[in-house]
Amino acid sequence: MSEVIDFKIRWGMVIDLDKCTGCGACMVACQAENNLAPQVDASNKLRALNWLTVYRLSNGKSFPDHEVAYLPRPCMQCGKPSCVSVCPVVATDKREEGGIVSQIPPRCIGCRYCMASCPYHARYFNWYDPKWPGDLDRTLTPDVSTRPRGVVEKCSFCHHRWMHAKDAAILKGEDPMDLPDGAYITACTEACPNGAITFGDLNNPKHKVYELRQSPHAFRLLERLGTEPQVYYLSKREWVRRQGDNYLEHEATGDNKKV
Amino acid sequence: MNRRGFLKFAAGGTVGLVASPIIWNTLYDAVYWSQNWGWIPRVPRGDSTYMRTISKLCPSGTGIRVRLVDGQPVRALSDPDNPLSRGALTALAAAETQLMVSPARLKEPLRRTPDGALVAISWEEAEKLLREKLAEAGGSTACISGDPTSTVNELLSSLVESRGSADFYFMPDDEQAALAAWSAMGGMGRLGYDVDNSDFILAIGANMLESWGTVARNRRNFSAGRPAGQEARVKFAYAGPVQNNTAAGADWWLPCRDGMEMELALGIAHLLIKAGHAVPSAGLDDFKALAGEYTPEKVAALTGVDAGRLAEVAKALAGAEKPLVLVGSALGAGGGAGAVMAGIAVNMLLGRVGAEGGLVNLPFPTPVVTGASDYRTVVNRNLIAWSQSVASGETEAPRVLLIYDANPLYSLPSDSGMEEVFTRSGFKVAMASFLSESCARCDLVLPAAMGLERFDDCYTPYGSGEVSWCISHPLVKPFYNSRPMGEVLISLAKELGVETGVKDMPGLLYKKAYSLGANFRKMVESGAVFQKKASGAFSVPVYNTDAIRTALTLKKEAAPLSLAPVVVLGMGTAQTGIPPFATKIITEYQLAGHSSVAQMNAATADKLGVRKGARVTVGNGKVKVPALVDIFEGVLPDAVALSAGLGHTAFDEFSRNKGSNIMTLTSITREPGTGLPVWSSAGVSVDKA
Repeated sequence: MSEVIDFKIRWGMVIDLDKCTGCGACMVACQAENNLAPQVDASNKLRALNWLTVYRLSNGKSFPDHEVAYLPRPCMQCGKPSCVSVCPVVATDKREEGGIVSQIPPRCIGCRYCMASCPYHARYFNWYDPKWPGDLDRTLTPDVSTRPRGVVEKCSFCHHRWMHAKDAAILKGEDPMDLPDGAYITACTEACPNGAITFGDLNNPKHKVYELRQSPHAFRLLERLGTEPQVYYLSKREWVRRQGDNYLEHEATGDNKKV
Repeated sequence: MNRRGFLKFAAGGTVGLVASPIIWNTLYDAVYWSQNWGWIPRVPRGDSTYMRTISKLCPSGTGIRVRLVDGQPVRALSDPDNPLSRGALTALAAAETQLMVSPARLKEPLRRTPDGALVAISWEEAEKLLREKLAEAGGSTACISGDPTSTVNELLSSLVESRGSADFYFMPDDEQAALAAWSAMGGMGRLGYDVDNSDFILAIGANMLESWGTVARNRRNFSAGRPAGQEARVKFAYAGPVQNNTAAGADWWLPCRDGMEMELALGIAHLLIKAGHAVPSAGLDDFKALAGEYTPEKVAALTGVDAGRLAEVAKALAGAEKPLVLVGSALGAGGGAGAVMAGIAVNMLLGRVGAEGGLVNLPFPTPVVTGASDYRTVVNRNLIAWSQSVASGETEAPRVLLIYDANPLYSLPSDSGMEEVFTRSGFKVAMASFLSESCARCDLVLPAAMGLERFDDCYTPYGSGEVSWCISHPLVKPFYNSRPMGEVLISLAKELGVETGVKDMPGLLYKKAYSLGANFRKMVESGAVFQKKASGAFSVPVYNTDAIRTALTLKKEAAPLSLAPVVVLGMGTAQTGIPPFATKIITEYQLAGHSSVAQMNAATADKLGVRKGARVTVGNGKVKVPALVDIFEGVLPDAVALSAGLGHTAFDEFSRNKGSNIMTLTSITREPGTGLPVWSSAGVSVDKA
């Protein structure tokens, strides 16, 4: 597994699962922003291509004690990404300041090792030619190239938005490596009507995520695998936190040792 | 050639081949073409501009910031500067730009030919045909509008009513029940909800965090009241048959049978009165007597809500500083006024009528178009009563039927009489942006410019807590051969000699702005929004217990199971169909392949003898729809949850052939007293397929 590189900036998310109601606005915004092709039939979820997926969680109890929660799952942008070490063509890497795991579709040979190694199922394969029926291709954004069939793709934390934010900072004479909180946010963060997603630099005490990730209610998915995800979740509910990893019965969640 | 010569030739050839670019070019081509087979579009290049407007597709007019690249709208982004939605975006509003170019978009005026096909015609032909048909029909003209927030309704009203017809209707929605209830309880204006300032909201039946009322604004309030990682300042409780998206965000879920909202509200009232919360007003004693009958045990038996949980919510409600109870229906229409009256009475017990964060009285808009009926008159008209009357032959079908931004054939119950209205009406005209089921049955289809291509407005959508008015203005020229319907109607009215008092849509909106005291120019130029706080002065409401008692006599049909509809705004509205990107947000527990998914809890499935994945039919005695069973414990016992918004037969490939339309399973009853059509409580049966 790759070693963790100590980046000065680590872009990350803190997603409050007690605020997410599963409407899907984040998924729609993500598709539109990143030029994902619409799919006529996306009912086969193994073939549907999403950079961000919202899962429904259940506390496993019967009616009327049943509770429900929703979990949006982007790429975790792991500190030790298991996808990077298996890629035979360096189509995915984690070297750039900011700690975003890159994905370079023109280099990808479609072997899908990265998909097998990603414990979060955050990577998707283009099983079909991307198609924008009729005039739908008129709404493509200029920021993200379209990808052909046969390559793997994934969430980039809307990397182009970071580029734009840096450019804007330079034009204003500010330090592009010390962006104020909110100067760069992802499309899903922007779209969430419930404000469930908070985005920022996990290393920067001036950013809200710095404080939120240290909450006793914060956790990361499967963090005992040692992948060091840069996406944190928050929930005051113990049963929600327990679904973040394979806990034994006597193990409790809710501490902040992971920070 | 000898051996030596052959070897020399072979060696020379090999060296030559390696030195030449042939191998490298072939390798390059192999790599290039193996990664570029198939056609994929190139992304545009150009400067980005951002303009503020509203989403006219989103029923509550969510504020959006549109990104244009070289003049082409590519993204609908949230607008943090919109004072109403304050940066919240709905999944439907986020798809606004994609829907502008979706395959279902109507591109040309269409006319039905004698062989039944819809063929493209020119606008001149279409307008001439419409003008002639309207002139012939005279007063035998009816119109149904599906956008109650637009001032275009006044043009339609003027056009229809100045010619002697009173058949201009809005599609049924929750405001009709709310208005009937509010009037019965002594309210003089429109019923409003000051969601912004409340600290405890009990939503009975109203899917307020997903589709009900001013949903983007509701959700921004939800967000602000519950800062990430901090204690919640605003608490939410939701009562409904399914743990839907609103229940997922709420602190309490009260699993209540659909159609039993009135009984639940009376149960809450019972507990509040018992705890000494009974702000006096006329008729309190009588209401106390009625509420006294609704003990928690009785309410539990009627609604399915556990007595302990009901008591917990009633206690939290009473303990809150600024509680608010709002009542609505899961489908946003088809709920009765009785439940809303009971909800108003609960607010009255807590002294929340006219108070900050409580129920508010909103003024009706004043018409600005000459000859248009006022809003209150139109809302009070009963479309279903008319359509059923046409179906039964009591009322003559109109010679011309205009359908504006509505899809009644899809979104009303099958016994609404709408099918017969369509069959018997002489000449049917649709004004829409997408080829809906209703458009597909019309004789003339006029392609309407969308919100980003036309002047239009959104006046105080139902669910607001204050008067608000937003404007949409053209950011681009209308795509394809569509035209702004407001302009088409103004010119039509002029040619028919109908005096509307307006020359064009900007003129109409300017007039509207003047009547409200808003700055039209500023609103167009900067995307500003007009807001006005509700006035506190209005008559003191009364506990109209008689009206509640009468509504309680509504017969609820006995059926083995009840239908629990689930509405997700991201799956579009009856007018839009399923937006292209929404197929991916439709989950495996809403749609499996081409079949709807029927969610039920394990106890219900055991009782029915079915398992997860079983093929069943869900029927109401007349209609049966196929479904696959999914087990979900967030559904009431003896209830089947099915998603609304599926089962389209028109629109495009993103909408068609996906599940079944649950409206076919609903049927209409009339609420005693108000006479309102009610279809929220549908009894169904499930059989193995």
